[in-house]
Amino acid sequence: QILSRVKPAVVCDGHLDAGENKNKNKAKKIPRLEDYLSQRDYLGALTLLEFQREEHADLWIGYCAFHLGDHKRAMEEYKEMTLKPDCPLEVWVYFGCSLFFLGLYKEAEEAALKGLMLLIVNVALSFYLLQFNDEKKLMGFHQNLEDITEDQLSLASIHYMRSHYQEAIDIYKRILLQNREFLALNVYVALCYYKLDYYDVSQEVLAVYLQSIPDSTIALNLKACNHFRLYNGKAAEAELKNLIDISSTSFEFAKELIRHNLVVFRGGEGALQVLPPLIDVISEARLNLVIYYLRQDDVQEAFSLIKDLEPTTPQEYILKGVVNAALGQEIGSRELLKFAQQLFQLVGGSASECDTIPGRQCMASCFFLLKQFEDVLIYLNSVKSYFYNDDTFNFNYAQAKAALGNYKEAEEVFLIIQSEKIRNDYVYKSWLTRCYIMNKKARLAWELYLKMETSSESFRLLQLIANDCYKMGQFYYAAKAFDALERLDPCPEYWEGKRGACVGIFQLILAGREPRETLKEVLPMLRSTGNPQVEYIIRILKKWAKDNRVTL
Amino acid sequence: MERKERQKTKLIINQPYDESLEVNDSEEVDSEYTPTPRRTASGKKNRQPDSMANNSSDEYEEDTKKKKGVVGQLGGSDHEEDEEEEEEDDEDDDDSDETESDEEEGEPGSAPEGAYDPADYEHLPVSAEIKELFQYITRYTPQNVELDYKLKPFIPDFIPAVGDIDAFLKVPRPDQKSDHLGLLILDEPCTKQSDPTVLTLWLSENSKQHNVTEVKVKSVEDPEKNPKAIENWIESISELHRSKPPATVHYSRQMPDIDTLMQEWPPEFEELLGKVSLPTADINCDLAEYIDIICGVLDVPVYKSRIQSLHVLFTLYSEFKNSQHFKVLAEGQKSYSQPGAHSATAEADTLTLD
Repeated sequence: QILSRVKPAVVCDGHLDAGENKNKNKAKKIPRLEDYLSQRDYLGALTLLEFQREEHADLWIGYCAFHLGDHKRAMEEYKEMTLKPDCPLEVWVYFGCSLFFLGLYKEAEEAALKGLMLLIVNVALSFYLLQFNDEKKLMGFHQNLEDITEDQLSLASIHYMRSHYQEAIDIYKRILLQNREFLALNVYVALCYYKLDYYDVSQEVLAVYLQSIPDSTIALNLKACNHFRLYNGKAAEAELKNLIDISSTSFEFAKELIRHNLVVFRGGEGALQVLPPLIDVISEARLNLVIYYLRQDDVQEAFSLIKDLEPTTPQEYILKGVVNAALGQEIGSRELLKFAQQLFQLVGGSASECDTIPGRQCMASCFFLLKQFEDVLIYLNSVKSYFYNDDTFNFNYAQAKAALGNYKEAEEVFLIIQSEKIRNDYVYKSWLTRCYIMNKKARLAWELYLKMETSSESFRLLQLIANDCYKMGQFYYAAKAFDALERLDPCPEYWEGKRGACVGIFQLILAGREPRETLKEVLPMLRSTGNPQVEYIIRILKKWAKDNRVTL
Repeated sequence: MERKERQKTKLIINQPYDESLEVNDSEEVDSEYTPTPRRTASGKKNRQPDSMANNSSDEYEEDTKKKKGVVGQLGGSDHEEDEEEEEEDDEDDDDSDETESDEEEGEPGSAPEGAYDPADYEHLPVSAEIKELFQYITRYTPQNVELDYKLKPFIPDFIPAVGDIDAFLKVPRPDQKSDHLGLLILDEPCTKQSDPTVLTLWLSENSKQHNVTEVKVKSVEDPEKNPKAIENWIESISELHRSKPPATVHYSRQMPDIDTLMQEWPPEFEELLGKVSLPTADINCDLAEYIDIICGVLDVPVYKSRIQSLHVLFTLYSEFKNSQHFKVLAEGQKSYSQPGAHSATAEADTLTLD
């Protein structure tokens, strides 16, 4: 039998006798292998095994290397054993196991197959199939799994890997009910709750385990991750520091995971040094590097990292959508934008994500790309309270408001935005300009224009101000804008606009909505155009001014 | 506040109609207070069709308590009510323009609120000439300037890694005993792992197999950043040295100097050695007597305990053995005191000093 099926009645004393061993050292007795194994001091056990060089040590060396997490060494050890003529069949299975943990699924299957119909083959195969999403084959193998605790636990882990966390929790809880002493299962449940975003529930369940094993690496790391989600990076880093402090220097297990998470908790600090070598070692490393590049506005780099990634988790779908949306807008690719929109729709419409903040953001993004701004607002409003003062959120939110003609609110939201980068974006400036004009604050729009360097963008803004002001009957700034446009490009259309606007000012003066003095500014604007109509208009204006004792 | 109440009531009355009728967005836009597009959108999603009966805010609070990531239900009308209220609160003292401008939503192409309308100025008492001049205003039709939108994508937070869950793909103990890994305790190495170098040194020290050691020499990266590693190393090595037997022995009684003992024998004794060899361990006496004989021959005093004398004896032996001068000398005469010394080294393994 490969896996022990004995349900232990007593809790093994594991780590408790760490001090005991030291005493033994002082008593100068040669330690026994068992002492190291019970403390899970596999480095110690390996050193002892190598020192003693006893017969059949290779199986033990494989065992220790495997549980130390040194799968490469375990694989090499087992590989060597399989080359011997009288190699026991199960060694092939162990070989397969170590290959599996090295990510060599194909090889793992081949090796495990040689180990014949042992249970572990089934599990290894189903993991292999899982990687290729062969549902039908997978289910067939599951039926081969007998209802034994370890198999149930394997099944639960498969659920976990497929993001079916609730199913996994159900299995773990059922086994826990029958076997209270299976403390480790609490950590698995906590992992599931973490993945379901129930961070405080995760924390509670985790505490049960940490109470008896306070120095567990996996548990302490999970605790740090919960802190990151519940509080902030600082709180999380403190937890991780604690773990680093209690670890001995020869402790290599999960070292990469810890390095990775330190980058995460420090908001991306050191990402370029730490993350690239971890790509394909820790699945989150690639995503985090993409996030890092996005935050640095290096969209192209982000894209090349993610373009070949076949998304499987919501996070991957979201990130792929974000990158495609960013690049699609940057280079004006309809294709990328369509793809982004589909990805967003997929996540936002999924049962697991539709009620989460990222899910709502996805739906909003999807509708934004479709320019369905009523829908954008439904989704943004539903998460608005989480994003007070968030520039990205406000930028999208204000555009949606403005798109629907709600310029008052749009203006307010636009003005909350702090980011210089957004404020200098032409999209921001043009929409804010429109809001100002629609809210009858044409002067502010004009000032916005005056602050701009002369460029094609400032020319476009001038056109916007001229036409929108005209539309809104704010003829003074319409006239100024048309006048400026005409100087830059003397085309008849701008003249017509200026002519209408100048007459419009006159009308406003007559209606008492514009001070009479403004007329003084109208004349030079008209005169700058060499058109016969100019004299005709000026003559009427002058006549009126004379009649009404307005000095020009 | 009263107005708000009225609005609410109105909303509730309107609700069933809007829910049951498939209404066209653009036609309905002018209806009061409740722009249809939103409602249609929520209807499409089939989310909580009777959400008015639901108290959305309660549910929402409960959700956030448990789960940070989960947000409130997307009931179209719930949400709408919320928003109306919000707007009310924001601009309480505003005039009724507020709600009107809201109605514009969903119809961005039409003339916006407050647009220029020549009809507003028809009443002006002006001359025919000026009236004619006014026609210039309407002769120019302002263009609709289309503005670009830019979606600023919501960049997710960095994602911490929690590692994989135990797949129970395990190598069992070779002796088939249960290790309970992954059940009683997580299958992970404990944080306190022995340092292989230190342990190897320790093992060779305690098992006296000095010859075996092919000790790996390790180095510390960034030593200035890693004082802990250095401290640990110093600590464990000094621990190791403490556990070793002391390098020097303090004899309880006066012992002759090794150099003195290494002096040449008198010439006549040397001469005799050429003819007779020293007594071997095969001599007919017990070990204690044999020790006394050898020590006597080599001028090592024997007091109450022979142990200290033996220590002097073996120190003398190792001096000779390591001496380059005598090594060359010994090459010539192989038989030189070899056998006796040999049997004695076997005892060296168990030598202990008080």
